[in-house]
Amino acid sequence: MAKVTRWINKIFSNFLIFLMASMVLVVSWQVFTRFVMHNPSSYTEELARFLLIWIGLLGAGYALHTRAHLGIDVLTYKLTGVKRQIVEIGVHSLIILFAFFVMILGGFRLVDLTFKLNQISAAMGIKMGYIYSVIPLSGLLIIFNSVDFIIKIVKKNPFGNLLN
Amino acid sequence: NVRILKLAHVLDVTHPVHKAMVFMAQKVYKKSGGKMRVDIYPSGQLGAERELIELLQIGSLAMTKVSAGPMESFVPEMKIFSIPYAFRDEDHLWNVLNGKTGKQILLAGQKYYLRGLCYYDAGSRSFYTKDVPVNSPADLKGLKIRVMKSLTAVKMVQALGGSATPISWGELYTALQQGIVDGAENNPPSFYLSHHYEVCKYYTLDQHTFVPDILLISTRIWQQLSLQEQKWLQEAVNESVDYEKVLWKEASDHALAEVQKAGVKIIYPDKAPFEAAVKKMHESYRGTPIYSLLREIVNSK
Amino acid sequence: MEMSVLVLVLSFVILLALSVPIAFSIGIATTLTMLFTISSGPAVTTVAQRMATGIDSFALLAIPFFILSGQLMGQGGIARRLIDFAKVLVGMLPGGLAHVNVLASMFFGSISGSAVAATSAIGGFMIPIMNKEGYDKNFSAAVTVTASTTGLLIPPSNVLIVYSLASGGVSIAALFIAGYLPGILVGLGLIGVSTVIALLRKYPVGEKQSVIQGVKIFLDAIPSLCLVVIVIGGIIAGIFTATEASAIAVLYSLLLSVVVYREVKVSQLPEILLKTVETTAIVMLLIGTSSGMSWILSYENIPQNISTMLIALTNSKIIILLIINLLLLIVGTFMDMTPAVLIFTPIFLPVVTQLGITPLHFGIMMVLNLCIGLCTPPVGSVLFVGCGIAKTSIAGITKSLLPFYAVMVLVLMLVTYIPWITLVLPHLFGY
Ligand code: NA
Ligand code: NA
Repeated sequence: MAKVTRWINKIFSNFLIFLMASMVLVVSWQVFTRFVMHNPSSYTEELARFLLIWIGLLGAGYALHTRAHLGIDVLTYKLTGVKRQIVEIGVHSLIILFAFFVMILGGFRLVDLTFKLNQISAAMGIKMGYIYSVIPLSGLLIIFNSVDFIIKIVKKNPFGNLLN
Repeated sequence: NVRILKLAHVLDVTHPVHKAMVFMAQKVYKKSGGKMRVDIYPSGQLGAERELIELLQIGSLAMTKVSAGPMESFVPEMKIFSIPYAFRDEDHLWNVLNGKTGKQILLAGQKYYLRGLCYYDAGSRSFYTKDVPVNSPADLKGLKIRVMKSLTAVKMVQALGGSATPISWGELYTALQQGIVDGAENNPPSFYLSHHYEVCKYYTLDQHTFVPDILLISTRIWQQLSLQEQKWLQEAVNESVDYEKVLWKEASDHALAEVQKAGVKIIYPDKAPFEAAVKKMHESYRGTPIYSLLREIVNSK
Repeated sequence: MEMSVLVLVLSFVILLALSVPIAFSIGIATTLTMLFTISSGPAVTTVAQRMATGIDSFALLAIPFFILSGQLMGQGGIARRLIDFAKVLVGMLPGGLAHVNVLASMFFGSISGSAVAATSAIGGFMIPIMNKEGYDKNFSAAVTVTASTTGLLIPPSNVLIVYSLASGGVSIAALFIAGYLPGILVGLGLIGVSTVIALLRKYPVGEKQSVIQGVKIFLDAIPSLCLVVIVIGGIIAGIFTATEASAIAVLYSLLLSVVVYREVKVSQLPEILLKTVETTAIVMLLIGTSSGMSWILSYENIPQNISTMLIALTNSKIIILLIINLLLLIVGTFMDMTPAVLIFTPIFLPVVTQLGITPLHFGIMMVLNLCIGLCTPPVGSVLFVGCGIAKTSIAGITKSLLPFYAVMVLVLMLVTYIPWITLVLPHLFGY
């Protein structure tokens, strides 16, 4: 399992690095076409925005792997042992529920709707369904990383002192 | 139990179209004796135009008012309004809109869950520029003109010789001021209300496009209404259309007078060279479904 | 209306108390509220749509770019050069290193969009040096932490971009220019407090450097300082937009750190890009879910109701601003800046605009207020980073922070009640 997790997140991290580098290039190209070529590109603005959506949502799923999301642990930071485990499992279960109902179900419904009703983007004319498909994809990654996290917690202390 | 329809749009509350919709909401309330209400959310508080259209499809919003421009990403027939010189003048436009073709375009969105309720007058769009007066398409050569985020709008400016630069409306004032673009195009009230006239001193009334505003209701919510409710709504809408035309005319005249007072030179160009310049663009639609619609309109009275 | 507010507030508070990451707390609370008012299919789809469309803004692209250039500058030797330069200017004063710290943070802040970046870049160098010279480590950390917040007011500033979005499009260029004076005022205030403490505790006076050495250090710092001229100068002169400026900043700092200073290797770039993605994504998820929350707030007419309520309470501008400031100070203690700006801008902005306060003025006031929160326990991202670098406890540093809080609150009051401080520069530049 640990291997699979590392492997999957490695693929996503490489993909995200590629998207980020592309975004820098796209906006630089936009500035270049206007300043140097005096013929501004008509699609870079839209492409850069769509890249940001992908980086933002997919990166959020990846950030769960590195545990970078900030929580407010005013009430919970003193907890240790089993109590802490229970809270952490609870938190990740809530994240899984959100990812499932909103990002996977809601996101899939949105993707389905925009494909079925054939909405296209204004400047590049590509199907908006492709852009929105990052929502369920990111939902999957979030669930994957949360489940992985829960497994790790349980494994760390399989026979935790429940009476503690 | 009152039937409540939520209507969101991006205009601010001083805009004539907003006022017309408030008038429509009051009519609905009166006609239904308080059994039906339209609640209006102005100023883009529930999202930008494209997002609002999407919310109608999703089903969390009942109604919206959008420009026909962004509609072309949803309903291909709506592209017709962004094609330059599809309409000769105001009379031609309203003859078409009030006729069979207009009705057909308005209801074309039905299968995309977007039922058109009416067209509101949004006048015609023309070029305004900072430093270079535009008397003919030749003057547009090399000018960076801001366009709406629309493929057709980009093609139009290119066909007329300018270079199209998509910039969001909110960023346009500074973009004009900073010289990121040399000009833009819009109708007189928008030119005036956006204060772009402070920067752009030439307004060329070439009237390249007539892009009406469209009032939409989610098809599924429309079907949930009783026949009586549909009737109240449609009647109120129709009455607001006439009211809006009056408001629009006032706003448009006022805007033109005010910008002239502020030192803007209004140019009334010969439209023929402009129309000639876009002939090729019209022909580029040959073989696509929009072409027959375009022919039909161009050849109508 | 009342029930949906109850659902929203209750679920949000409970989720926060359970230490659910804040972006998810916002998302879940929003979804529950939507389910309460809209049928389930459209409700979850709307939240999903808001998550994507909330990020769909060209202005927001500046955030990852300023983060990226900040990373490159932090690792590329730029921070060190700025510190050396600050030493030449204020190193010889009593408590010299404290002033160097503040000034270096202001310099670094003027080229970086985030306070956390400034804390780690400047604090990483300055805190060990200060400790060696006999400064109390809690004092060193307190100076670093508070000084780094000046970078959020002195442009470029990522949080001001977020505010521009949340306020419905206040000009980013105007916000950037407006931030200068308040940011400099905070910096001067911190220098003042440090001087008093340094004199009381007899901290060492730094050595004066020779003119030749000073010139040499200045020349060495010029390429770094040039970034300010290129980015902010470019925006003010109207050569490019804030977003384009941020892309230029990336290219320039890439050139500086990889080619000129050669302190970043090309092989390190993927790692730096990934770190940028991670930081960006956390902010974007927040913006996405918050966009859902502000949607349902508007849908339920909550901002208007709060606005009506507050104005019914009193129509004294002075008192309402005081109430809002107090609420934001409390919010700031437990909430990070970006979510606070995203959640409270749509609620408070309608109130203050009715009182004739410009969105520009309010934005600077709000950000300055929340800067204080970044340095307060229990939750303060800058505080945490500072504690980590100084290897000190939150309890320890908090006592040292008290005089610094006081001066920041003083500046906050000045900025709140004297709009001129915020508005004079933007007016001068025609905004
Ligand atoms: Na800054
Ligand atoms: Na805090």
